Amino acid sequence: MIDALFEGLLLVLQWKAFAFMLLGIGLGFWVGLLPGLGGATTLALMLPFIYAMQPVEAFAFLLGMHSVVATTGDITSVLFGVPGEATAAATILDGHAMAKKGEAGRALGAALTSSLIGALVGAFALALAIPVVRPLVLTFGSPELFMVAIVGLAFIASLSAHGARGMLRGFLAGGLGLFFATVGQDPQAGIARYTLGTLYLWGGLELVPMLIGIFAIPEIIDLVVRGTSIAGDVPPGRLNKGALEGVKDTFRHFWLTIRCSLIGTFIGIMPGLGGSVAQWMAYGHATQSARNAEERKQFGAGDVRGVLGPGAANNSKEGGALIPTVAFGVPGSSAMAILLGGFFLMGLVPGPDMLTKHLAVTFSMVWTIVLANVITVVACFLFLNQLARLTAVRGHLLIPVILVLVFIGSYTANNHYGDVLVMLLFGGIGYLMVVGGWPRAPFVLGLVLGKIAENYLYISVARYEAAWLYRPVVLVLLGLALVVICYPLIQARRAGAKKDAHA
Amino acid sequence: MRSTLALIAVFTLMAIAPRVGEAQSSRYEGKTVTIVVGYKTGGGYDATARLLARHLPKHIPGKPTVIVQNMPGANSLIAANHVYAVAKPDGLTIGTFNRNLPIAQLIKVEGVKFDMTKFAWVGSAASESTVLAIRADLPYQSFDELRKAGKTVVIGATGPGANTYDFPLLIKELLGVNLKIVSGYSSSADIMLAIERKEVDGRAGSYTSLRPFIDRDLVRPVIRARATEAGIEQLPVDEDLAPTPRAKAIMALRSVPEVIGRPYVMPPGTPDDAVKMMREAFRNAIKDPELVAEAKKAKMALEFVSGDEALKVVKELLAQPKDVVDEFSKYIKFGE
Repeated sequence: MIDALFEGLLLVLQWKAFAFMLLGIGLGFWVGLLPGLGGATTLALMLPFIYAMQPVEAFAFLLGMHSVVATTGDITSVLFGVPGEATAAATILDGHAMAKKGEAGRALGAALTSSLIGALVGAFALALAIPVVRPLVLTFGSPELFMVAIVGLAFIASLSAHGARGMLRGFLAGGLGLFFATVGQDPQAGIARYTLGTLYLWGGLELVPMLIGIFAIPEIIDLVVRGTSIAGDVPPGRLNKGALEGVKDTFRHFWLTIRCSLIGTFIGIMPGLGGSVAQWMAYGHATQSARNAEERKQFGAGDVRGVLGPGAANNSKEGGALIPTVAFGVPGSSAMAILLGGFFLMGLVPGPDMLTKHLAVTFSMVWTIVLANVITVVACFLFLNQLARLTAVRGHLLIPVILVLVFIGSYTANNHYGDVLVMLLFGGIGYLMVVGGWPRAPFVLGLVLGKIAENYLYISVARYEAAWLYRPVVLVLLGLALVVICYPLIQARRAGAKKDAHA
Repeated sequence: MRSTLALIAVFTLMAIAPRVGEAQSSRYEGKTVTIVVGYKTGGGYDATARLLARHLPKHIPGKPTVIVQNMPGANSLIAANHVYAVAKPDGLTIGTFNRNLPIAQLIKVEGVKFDMTKFAWVGSAASESTVLAIRADLPYQSFDELRKAGKTVVIGATGPGANTYDFPLLIKELLGVNLKIVSGYSSSADIMLAIERKEVDGRAGSYTSLRPFIDRDLVRPVIRARATEAGIEQLPVDEDLAPTPRAKAIMALRSVPEVIGRPYVMPPGTPDDAVKMMREAFRNAIKDPELVAEAKKAKMALEFVSGDEALKVVKELLAQPKDVVDEFSKYIKFGE
């Protein structure tokens, strides 16, 4: 085992594999920065290039590319409020809010450091989980996966403002998200739901244009209305510092970062939950760390913890997603499904062999994730403060560029003008929500969890009828969901009790 | 040495090439041929198209660039409507769509704005052999035992319109096997995992995708549809077990598109010489040893079906009597 660990490292450090990894990192860097063009699509496009490579080179190339996408996706999210990747949308809430306060450098520093820690935790989990992955994944059947989705939805309680009014709005927004998730042909009866007679809506609403609309459009309108730069009210001299502060923040909230990384890893391991879920659950968990109502209000207005959570989770989930791919030949995400094609091309059959005969190759993947992220983060830090200065550029110079990114980013999802309309429509919804003080995070949580919850509920009932409710893990998860829902109440009571004690 | 020989060969060919060849070469020289795929990047249809795009240029006079354009949506209806009505019939557009589009046309799915028989058919690049596989630890060794046992066997599926759903559905409804179809899994890989944890007892799907799991002794194929390949010839075929001619016709109707599993067409009205040349190139590309080697590595099984043959299959399918179609559309929906 230890031998294989080092052999894996040496394999990646061979000059050819290393060169391919650098090439992959360079590609992934841009793919992450540009909204719309996703990691999975790029993997599919790059697959033909690996024919001539050795397995280690091929995976260094593909994984090197894939594992930095979420890292640099955070950069676009923080700077412009445009999700660089579907998996980096949650970073916007606090990251971009920090940028507006003139703390872009600090937010970027925090996002990158937490991304690195997330990637390390994910890679570490991949290395550690190898012996126990089988029972772990097999314990989670459809009823359990449905309950994981419910736990995810329970986080709406943490993502909403405190008080009855805030909760009501949060859950209504979540319900609206669930509703939009039902659009399209359903997989049980094959009926087209809410497609308004168009072919475009048959496949359901596309996540990327929706996310771009919900988050980017309100920011663009805000920028136009203010008529200043993104960090409008901050003297420019202060912008150049901060990246180091972000690094320190990560270590200040080290355990939160680790916990969010673990959430990401767990969601990654579960095939069928999808990559965009992890960041929101992590964000929800990060908001739970607010000690009182005052602190809670800071989330969404630029609390660094709201950057650390999703930053860590969207990287750690990749290591997690590799686990079922390697061990079962069952991909944990759409990107991994394409990577699986890469395994076949290389003549490797994912499955038990990867843990015995090809263990060194498996470990070389772990090392690739680690090295790719270290290199990217170090490279980013070299010009992070320069990047942060973009927030001091006047709005009317920046807006055309952002708009181009927004339109192209939405269009590339399906190459269909419908995507642009969806982006604009959801931009309108997002803007109204911001103006009216409705939280957007629960809405998005409903969107990303809707299909998962619906399908696994249907499968659970069709397969087990009511008996699925008594499964032990289901009960444990149900308890967890209740705790998550009640957590804000408990917290409020505790805070109240403390106040009384002081008075 | 080899390159010199190749050069000589090229020059000889150029000298003896007929005039038609020259005309073709100018048609494609410096041009870009687009393959419109009705699905996103990463799936089987996309992978086949990209493989062909790499090898087609060699076989087209004038060596045009061949690119792939993904136009996903509505189970490829959007792409098919586009190639049918919008794309110029100038020989520079090829479309590859859901093999079940002829069925969509047959059962008059809303949104179908094309006639499959009017496309200029290039051919098909692969056939899809569907099998039903059940867990190897179940006591049923064969389809006969499964049918006679009468105990409920749970089959996981993705959704109506996919072979994971439709194939077992007809076995259940028309052959009277006690299957319970649980639908809604996000992919066939997802169902495979459900089989591993014994949530379901089996699944239907292409033999290619099931093969690694059959080799690993996780599942055992028990019955197949019409299209076949090496390794599953001996399995019983669903149509042969049909109790009535009507049932047989319905099962045959579901299987027919699988014979032309990766259909390639050009817009209606594409000049005959361009179609002829593309058919030729398509045939040669699929048999190109380099392509075959790549396909083998990627575990893709390609099989050439000529344009004429494919068109014949589609015409036959669309010529079904109304009562069969009505009965068929009771069971089968268009999807995925």
